[in-house]
Amino acid sequence: MSTTAYRTLADQLRGWPDERLSRLLHERPDLATPAPHDSGQLASRAATRSSVLRALDQLNRFELCVLDALVVLGQTSVEELVDAVAAAPEDVRTASARLVDLALAWESPQGLRALSTVAEALTPGSPGVSGLRPVSTDPLPAAEIERRLDRLSPQARQLLEHVLDSGGTATSGNARQTVLPEEAANPAEELLAHRLLVPRSGGSVVLPGEVGRALRGGCTTTYDVGEPPALATSERDPALVDRAAAGAAFEAVRRVELLLDQWGSHPPAALRSGGLGVRDLRALATDLHVDEPAAALLVEVAQAAGLLSTAAGPNGDPRWIPTDAFDTWTAKPTAERWLALVVAWLESPRLPGLVGSRDTAGKVWNALAPELAGIHQAETRGLTLHVLAELPPGTVLASGTGVPSLVQRVEWRRPRRPRTRADQVVWAVDEATALGLAALGGLASYARPLLAGDRSEATAALAGLLPDPVDHVLLQADLTAVAPGPLESQLARRLQLVADVESRGGATVYRFTPGSVRRALDTGWTAVEVHEFVASVSRTPVPQPLTYLVDDTARTFGTVRVGHAEAFLRTDDEAALTELLHHPKAASLGLRRLAPTVVVSDTPIDVLLPRLRDLGIAPVVESPDGTVHVARPDLLRARTPKEHRGRAQRAVRESAHAGQVVSAIRAGDRAESTRPAAPADRLSPSGSMAALREAIETRAAVVIGYVDNQGASTDRLVEPESLDGGTLTAYDHRSDDIRTFAVHRITTVREVPRSAV
Amino acid sequence: MHDGPLIVQSDKTLLLEVDHELADDCRKAIAPFAELERSPEHVHTYRLTPLGLWNARAAGHDAEQVVDTLLTYSRYAVPHALLVDVAETMARYGRLRLEKHPTHGLVLSSTDRPVLEEVLRAKKIAGMLGARIDDDSVVVHGSERGNLKQALLKLGWPAEDFAGYVDGEAHPIALSEVDWSLRTYQREAAESFWHGGSGVVVLPCGAGKTLVGAAAMAEAQATTLILVTNTVSARQWKDELVRRTSLTADEIGEYSGAVKEIRPVTIATYQVLTTKRKGVYPHLELLDARDWGLIVYDEVHLLPAPIFRMTADLQARRRLGLTATLVREDGREGDVFSLIGPKRYDAPWKDIESQGWIAPADCVEVRVTLPTSERLAYATAEPEERYRLASCTHHKISVVESLVRSHPGQPTLVIGQYIDQLDELAAALDAPVIKGETTVRERQRLFDAFRSGEVGLLVVSKVANFSIDLPSAEVAIQVSGSFGSRQEEAQRLGRLLRPKSEGKTAHFYTIVSRDTVDADFAANRQRFLAEQGYAYRIVDAEDVGA
Repeated sequence: MSTTAYRTLADQLRGWPDERLSRLLHERPDLATPAPHDSGQLASRAATRSSVLRALDQLNRFELCVLDALVVLGQTSVEELVDAVAAAPEDVRTASARLVDLALAWESPQGLRALSTVAEALTPGSPGVSGLRPVSTDPLPAAEIERRLDRLSPQARQLLEHVLDSGGTATSGNARQTVLPEEAANPAEELLAHRLLVPRSGGSVVLPGEVGRALRGGCTTTYDVGEPPALATSERDPALVDRAAAGAAFEAVRRVELLLDQWGSHPPAALRSGGLGVRDLRALATDLHVDEPAAALLVEVAQAAGLLSTAAGPNGDPRWIPTDAFDTWTAKPTAERWLALVVAWLESPRLPGLVGSRDTAGKVWNALAPELAGIHQAETRGLTLHVLAELPPGTVLASGTGVPSLVQRVEWRRPRRPRTRADQVVWAVDEATALGLAALGGLASYARPLLAGDRSEATAALAGLLPDPVDHVLLQADLTAVAPGPLESQLARRLQLVADVESRGGATVYRFTPGSVRRALDTGWTAVEVHEFVASVSRTPVPQPLTYLVDDTARTFGTVRVGHAEAFLRTDDEAALTELLHHPKAASLGLRRLAPTVVVSDTPIDVLLPRLRDLGIAPVVESPDGTVHVARPDLLRARTPKEHRGRAQRAVRESAHAGQVVSAIRAGDRAESTRPAAPADRLSPSGSMAALREAIETRAAVVIGYVDNQGASTDRLVEPESLDGGTLTAYDHRSDDIRTFAVHRITTVREVPRSAV
Repeated sequence: MHDGPLIVQSDKTLLLEVDHELADDCRKAIAPFAELERSPEHVHTYRLTPLGLWNARAAGHDAEQVVDTLLTYSRYAVPHALLVDVAETMARYGRLRLEKHPTHGLVLSSTDRPVLEEVLRAKKIAGMLGARIDDDSVVVHGSERGNLKQALLKLGWPAEDFAGYVDGEAHPIALSEVDWSLRTYQREAAESFWHGGSGVVVLPCGAGKTLVGAAAMAEAQATTLILVTNTVSARQWKDELVRRTSLTADEIGEYSGAVKEIRPVTIATYQVLTTKRKGVYPHLELLDARDWGLIVYDEVHLLPAPIFRMTADLQARRRLGLTATLVREDGREGDVFSLIGPKRYDAPWKDIESQGWIAPADCVEVRVTLPTSERLAYATAEPEERYRLASCTHHKISVVESLVRSHPGQPTLVIGQYIDQLDELAAALDAPVIKGETTVRERQRLFDAFRSGEVGLLVVSKVANFSIDLPSAEVAIQVSGSFGSRQEEAQRLGRLLRPKSEGKTAHFYTIVSRDTVDADFAANRQRFLAEQGYAYRIVDAEDVGA
């Protein structure tokens, strides 16, 4: 660290080498946009409150403690600072160097000092703040303070400690402020006499920082602030962690594929608010053999990875369907697919952990709801995983106590983050476990290169742990086929066509049923193809019952045929039908002969009938039960309109409506009667507020000029009730109800004579 | 990558690759806690169920062992959630204990207070418990021992029963192993039952369950009540006990519809116990007629519901359940677990078969095509009539004839459900028929004649399904049956699976009508048999005898 002193922060920044300056801009990116003109502007920007707060958010608890000590000491040397902080001296030096690097402190000729905005931002009670007041400008020597403290009466000492604990300030009450030690009548006067409390204007007294330090034994805190909270850990075989994590990774990828495959053919509707319905999520969880939170995580990750999106269905309603990126994703090896998911998850601001719980308004959070995101989520995930990564391989979080200790450690790292953080850390661990980045409380070995930024090494390491794809199945006499590992993607898809999946996991169990074989035949396979396919994928001889099943299904396949026709013609006279079919004018009727006596047509009956008559045939129409339907032109009739509501009910409604209209009219009349001949002067905002407050106090009715949403100005007769937060709550005569009015839209306020109401 | 024989699926099934070199070790390791669901030729499927895990827990295995076994033999990573679930499920067993208290009598106690609190608040339990003794224990009404266990199992907190058993009235019983001896697995089964106190022994048909019962009686040395499915089976038990033990015919009583004897060893039928007159069970007093030291339930999977209720009151006596399968068609496996006891011994069929105790079987499904006239009749029949129409087609008779012809000199059973059909078959084949109305004496005579070889062909209705030992049958031809019951299939096959001389293969034919419900039901049977690992073929009727 440089020992040169600078006149101002700007000078210091000017004096820094480029590389150090760029490090600052890297750590505090808000300083760089828009690019500052010069160091002066950079320095002033670095000292703004909002920028300082951002920088403070990046500090850990220890660094905040050091910064706080610096604020307490005012301008001081690094060595003085080392003395004042209860931590290892080397750590304090590193921390103070970092504070300078972050431009939160700078080296003035009088010593190191913190920016003044820092002192304002470190409010009492915020993390790392010791609660000491700044040291006075000309402090007593430490030894002298010690001596005076020793001589205090117990009551005075107790009072002093009380003042220290309650923030270092107090009111002096009726204690005399200038008094000699011998004349002190009470503990407060005793402390003032010894200058252990210093009077300030306005009758308050302050406990100077140096006294506080002395009371706390020389440091700003009584406890060591240098040590981060320990993690509760236990031993685990790293190979076991890797295996478990790789298993989870494989499952996560498999489930995302399954979910998107399913939604590709049966998409769930997107809610109007953009999320996924609770029922759809529950159904998905059942299908995937996971609980609902896990299912929510999978859909969120799929969406974050760009594999899932909404598109309008046939009736225009949005539905959740896989994107075209899904097809390229499926074609990749499992490890790469996993990488795509995990990278998306790491950077995603989404909060799947909230799904299923209720927000403050009592509304259930839906998965995929657009609002389900938090600005700190990605940062928390990264931080949590980095803390986990600090554990050496073979050491994992202890079950039970491990996660709470992790929460504390993360909180120590970024103490100024909001309180909800604890949940987010727990979610991060759970989600990382579900996605196979971690298992059994430890980070998987292949996740370390990923966090370090080396993606290809991560996928290579994971690929080594994943089951190798297999290209065969074992066929059994109970009509099942077992794939003893993940099948090659193409093979799996074909097999899924001819057999139903019964059990999934590392292996897959398929079952052949008449239905599944028929499904294959439906899509154009022939029995021979099915036989060949089955024989080619099986490593064992094809069992006889399976061969029989395929043949038996093929035997009945297609024995019944279904077609489409608009009308049929039947007759006992075969010759007549033949004649009709060969009639040149009948060509446009779309006639097809199904049997010697039956012909179908794709022309609707009402067209067909007159055409046939034109051709000289005398057809009659048959009703569905086979009897002859004699057609006579129908006489048209409309339905008699129905009385929907009872008379009595209608009468009540009408009279209520009339009542409303009347009161609106009356209110308008009263407003009119009080309207002055000349248009009312526009009141100033404060004037109208005053008038309204007066009306509230006197419980009087007033007429207000009010500009509505459409910009039209109306007069309303109201009885104001309260005025708060820019809105007026008042009883509105016109609507006969309590209404709220935006104050800024009230143009005039006029009193109404009481008699007029 | 680890190369084990086991694949653990996330839906809690375990797939065991049989041809793997470690398959046998693995099978032994997982058998205590996983239920074998199906065992076709290449990959066997086991399932992890709470009951299975609790059975293992009762047998002294802990979660760590189970998890360790899964991890050791698994080929791929084991889903983490499954491991957690296993540990949690197993930890549930034994948190609650039923114990004898010197002053309070029967007591439910727990080492885990929240569990006890949870259970005490359950509505169903409230009436069964008495006063709270201290924070960790509560008095149980003596009469509710069984009901409580049943209710606790339903709540997911099965209690471990340490309350012990009454010794019962002593009665000397010994095995008379002169010209025979207990097979190893029979001895093991009897021993593990005795050490466990009460429980179920699962052995395939034909594996000699009666002898396991006899061995258990020899251990108990006390008066014994044996509950069996029907009279014929009761007589068989009696004969077997007289032959294999020191008991004489006078010491063994039969308590059935016909005879009501109460002797030191009494064999009663389920039917007589569950007979209801004027809303009461008049024969229930049998259970209290003597101070029984042991109660044996034959064919536990058929135990009727009223017997369960009676069993709930017999919790102080030792109970041995014998069965070929724990699968109950009514899904009351949990009641067997809580009222009779956990599974104490189990051996997969195929294993015993390979030891030579039961015969290998060749299962063939013969499909007949209905003639057009019958198809039309079938198509227009009422749904409830359809099965009868399909399964009673006359075509089947000629197929049966040619099948019988193709096995000359081999003792053959023809099994069916419909009496008309059986009579017709009997006439066509010129064979005696056993049906519901056949007297017990006549049945006995025909069965004896069949066993001795006098009669080579027998037509039987479903009365023959259970517990009638016809070890000499080599061919069974099934023409109709109940609606695709798995249990029935096991029983029918069991008829044939008694050890054969010269290691002959048994033949099991099922004749079904193609494209009818008959074939649909046959599909269930086929699946069951194939899942049990039997070779299964389907042939067309035209090819039979060719």
